[in-house]
Amino acid sequence: MITLYDYALSGNCYKVRLLLNILQVPFSARAMDFHPGREHKSDWFLKLNPLGQLPVINDEGLLLREAQAILVYLASRYDASGHWYPRQDAAALGRIGQWLGFAEGLTATAGAARRHDTLFVEVDIGKCRAGAHALLRILDEHLWFAEQAGERWLCTAEWPSIADLACFPYVMLSEEGGISRLPYPAIRRWAERVKRVPGFIPMSGIFPASAA
Amino acid sequence: MNRWFAVSACDAVPPGHVAYTQLLGQELVLWRSAAGVLNAWENRCPHRGVRLTLGSCVGEELRCQYHAWRFASGSGQCTHIPSHPQQKPASTIRAQVFPLCEDGSFAWVNLTRDALPSPHPAASLDTALRSIFARAPVAAVRQVLLQGYGGHSVGLGDEFTLSVPDQKLQFMLQPVTEAQTIIHARLRGDLNAAERMTIFRHHNALLSVARDQAEAAA
Repeated sequence: MITLYDYALSGNCYKVRLLLNILQVPFSARAMDFHPGREHKSDWFLKLNPLGQLPVINDEGLLLREAQAILVYLASRYDASGHWYPRQDAAALGRIGQWLGFAEGLTATAGAARRHDTLFVEVDIGKCRAGAHALLRILDEHLWFAEQAGERWLCTAEWPSIADLACFPYVMLSEEGGISRLPYPAIRRWAERVKRVPGFIPMSGIFPASAA
Repeated sequence: MNRWFAVSACDAVPPGHVAYTQLLGQELVLWRSAAGVLNAWENRCPHRGVRLTLGSCVGEELRCQYHAWRFASGSGQCTHIPSHPQQKPASTIRAQVFPLCEDGSFAWVNLTRDALPSPHPAASLDTALRSIFARAPVAAVRQVLLQGYGGHSVGLGDEFTLSVPDQKLQFMLQPVTEAQTIIHARLRGDLNAAERMTIFRHHNALLSVARDQAEAAA
């Protein structure tokens, strides 16, 4: 069984839990004392991930770090439908890769602002918030034009991909870092669609939508 | 202030969707019931004050995220209190409802309870462009638009409504707060379906430039 080295308040751990739930893959979560214990910097954990970051998975001996890489692996390995990471569609894979990179940018801006406000991590908070707004502006514009073209998701018209899950958490947690999403109504509509994906689970600060 | 403000394109709030905006600093939950009725309410549950935008639409009701109290589309009347399922909620328990009207492409809100009748007749052929948020006051945004929009001179209508007669383009500026504005715009008349996306991108680019100029000046 997959072991997920997990922290309940981490958006990057949440996106892995989200995909595992959607794909109905059994896993066992090892809760890490990220704050205040800094267990992710402990000697035993640095042997699993020398970067000292969460999440990490161990799937029968295969150790993987980096949330986006874990999503690629899990979708490729466990998604029989092929929708979440459509390996036969080169253009879709290119777009997915592009938005996985964008998700890293969200972690570095909106995610960092949230760590500043909630865990007192020292960052240039003005720069983080401005950077997050610049990304959210791009995302909202992309989603508005996608909707006009009849596409419901970041990279694909009919089905969500791992790119949607990768970008979702730190967008939805932005207000915990002082980043209002009032300017981004297309993001709000997309987020409601993500919340209605079968198998969706919430986390602290991210609320469910109604079924319909 | 007894007047109507455009707060959203109609199709930006599809059935079942719960949207969030502000008008003159007043937080609003904009939500459309499953049957298609659009509501503009104070963004505050009358029970414990939690934002209703955290909640969700359930058929013809909005359900608060905190204690799952439900409020009826149209009246805002509380219809269900899960901890007292047998009791009919008192008629005094209701969300604060603001007058709202839709004219075919935009939704308008008046923050005055005994609002004037809407001056906006239905105009279903209009096409809403992408609304653009600016971190600048309405006056700064209006100034930029008056100085020229893509080389076109812009005629001044009433205080916030601008029009470009040759393009049949109408601007509606939503004062979010004293320092923030949403630029709504629509094209009057029917739109050639084949050119639709090109036209959207053209105006989105021009409005983004206007936003950047207004933010730089603010």
